[in-house]
Amino acid sequence: MRNSIRLLALAIVMAVVLAEGVALLFGVSAKAALPAEALAQAGQETRVIEIAAERFTFTPSEIRVKAGTRLEIRLESDDTAHGFHIVGTDVDIELPKRGRGAATVTFQPQAGRYTFECSRVCGAGHEFMRGVIIAE
Amino acid sequence: MLASSTVENYLKAIYAGAAALPDGQRLLPMGQLAAAVGVAPGTATTMVKTLAESGLVEYEPYAGVALTAAGQKLAALVLRRHRLIELFLVRVMGYSWDEVHDEAELLEHVVTDRLIERIDEMLGRPESDPHGDPIPNAQGLVKPQDAQTLLSCPLETTVIVTRVIDQDKEFLRFIEHNHLKPGETIEVEARNAAADSVRVRGKNDQRITIGTRAASKLLVHVAQVVLLCLLAVPAIAQTAPQRTETRRTNLSGYMDFHFNKEEFTDARLDFHRFVLLVTHTFSPSIRFVGELELEHAFVEGLEEAGELELEQAYVDFLLDRSLNVRAGMMLMPIGIINERHEPPVYYGVERPFIDTVIIPTTWFEVGAGVHGEVGRGWRYRGYVTAPLNAAEFSAEEGIREGRQKGAESNVGRPAVTGRLEYVGFRGLTLGGSAWSGHSGFEFRPRFDVPVSVAEADARYSRRGYEFRGQFAKVWIDNAGLLNDTLALRTGVNPNIGSALRGFSLEGSRRFLAGRLGEIGGFLRYENFDTQYRMPAGYVPLQQFDRDAWVVGANFWPDPDVAVKVDYSVVRNQSSVVRAPNSFNVGLGWWF
Repeated sequence: MRNSIRLLALAIVMAVVLAEGVALLFGVSAKAALPAEALAQAGQETRVIEIAAERFTFTPSEIRVKAGTRLEIRLESDDTAHGFHIVGTDVDIELPKRGRGAATVTFQPQAGRYTFECSRVCGAGHEFMRGVIIAE
Repeated sequence: MLASSTVENYLKAIYAGAAALPDGQRLLPMGQLAAAVGVAPGTATTMVKTLAESGLVEYEPYAGVALTAAGQKLAALVLRRHRLIELFLVRVMGYSWDEVHDEAELLEHVVTDRLIERIDEMLGRPESDPHGDPIPNAQGLVKPQDAQTLLSCPLETTVIVTRVIDQDKEFLRFIEHNHLKPGETIEVEARNAAADSVRVRGKNDQRITIGTRAASKLLVHVAQVVLLCLLAVPAIAQTAPQRTETRRTNLSGYMDFHFNKEEFTDARLDFHRFVLLVTHTFSPSIRFVGELELEHAFVEGLEEAGELELEQAYVDFLLDRSLNVRAGMMLMPIGIINERHEPPVYYGVERPFIDTVIIPTTWFEVGAGVHGEVGRGWRYRGYVTAPLNAAEFSAEEGIREGRQKGAESNVGRPAVTGRLEYVGFRGLTLGGSAWSGHSGFEFRPRFDVPVSVAEADARYSRRGYEFRGQFAKVWIDNAGLLNDTLALRTGVNPNIGSALRGFSLEGSRRFLAGRLGEIGGFLRYENFDTQYRMPAGYVPLQQFDRDAWVVGANFWPDPDVAVKVDYSVVRNQSSVVRAPNSFNVGLGWWF
């Protein structure tokens, strides 16, 4: 049991070091995992945000924008067809399968947090496929 | 006056322009007419004056122009020719609906009334053209229409598309691709003013979100459809307005069909997995997920054959992004494959050895727990579940047969399991998992068999390349006493190890194969030992210290369908018992 705790702790430390190392290697900081935030510019009317979808992850899964910014969200799947639904809004589109193009949707959030999720069942871990748009 | 093509085009433009005028406005402004015909305003005015002298239009300087009764009839007859020609080209000549407008623009000015009459008769005196535009009769009269656009029709009510009023080729192709052509039955689910969008539910419950501009060009008919619904399927008409978007049930699944040829044995055909996923959304924050699996196609009484397993059946309470609650039958959050095992997403016909004999996929158990994402790409799962049953452990398959699978599972001392995962960089997943439980509950007198599992994995995929690595270790405390107890019970000492260990490394590359789909090759190395450590006084059998090289390819005619082939070279440390190599072919799909 002690061994397992030690190994798990080691695995977690390694995962954290690797994750942050990858981020550093590819020139992205914690903020860079959120390209939308990195691109934010006050007064910009329309922002293009690219989101990759793959079982069972949206990347980035956290997007920070200025409230009132008109977002043009471009979504591309790396595997099967996914859905993109912003909970509490009418935004709900289907992403084509890998290699069949991207889906684009516009969204202009007021201040608040908007959870988005995959709205097309994509596998055993479908329910984990969520993210958030934070408009401030 | 004999109407030239120019005259006819002016009359058509005034006819169409007047139809789009707001209620109460009778005259079409000259600027609009000039723009519609594509000439300078002065040129349009000169022509309109000529038409006025011929009695075809009324012209009021600085106000606009309107058709007289004679002009109205002439314009309607031009449209009749145009629309009948379009329909003829589609129905008889095999044109597509997006390529007939230009042809009809030319032909409408040259065909004779006799030919048009024959076409009308041949087509059965149709009332509308391929785009849903009404065809005037031979007297130039059109049946009145009361259609609405997708912007004005009632929400969540079944309607039929009656007309598309933009004949731009790209737009028509878009409409056809999304099953929004005239005659299609659809439903406007929601309109979003902020996003300038309209969400439509169409054929086979497919949803598409379109812009308000596109929505304004689609006319629909409501009253007649509602009537049809009431006559044909009363329940639909009554329940549709009450339906909310959140109450949805969905069916999906995956299947795996295999050909296996192991050394020293005959080849087998095995319908390995037939899995159906049922999901239901009670509300945006309460969801059900169920996964029912039939393994090896056939289940019968006490015979050793297939298995029917309830691999998932839980309800998720989605409270917050960082904290959600789950209860029911759940997949243990251990490793790469256990939670992500749809056939098209991994290489190899069979699952990796490490995910079979070290991590007992598919590992599912009843319990409850929490999961969430804490930001910056980090997410977690933590469950309390029923433990493994040590009485079913074995030397060859380790803890695999110890899964209680939710069948009146003993939870006298529940197990705990969890996973921490990083997914903040596109294509990268890093994870660490653990499981810990007390598994000796079946023995009398009772004694403790603590079992722990620790696992770490990494997966990176980008532009067709993918690399995977996984390490897992299992500790079985009190394995000596467990072996002695089981030996007394069965008469055979199971020789269960006190530690199991495995790791695997895999590299792969996927290419486009032209119009056929995609093809990819992979190479995997695995090392796995179910007797990595033995309890005091026990000697490991070398046949369980194994490694394997697996090489093969996947072909995806569709991203959700995979044809797989591989060859596994399996070795062990025994000089007596040889591990069989195998050649495997598989077909797997997800829908």
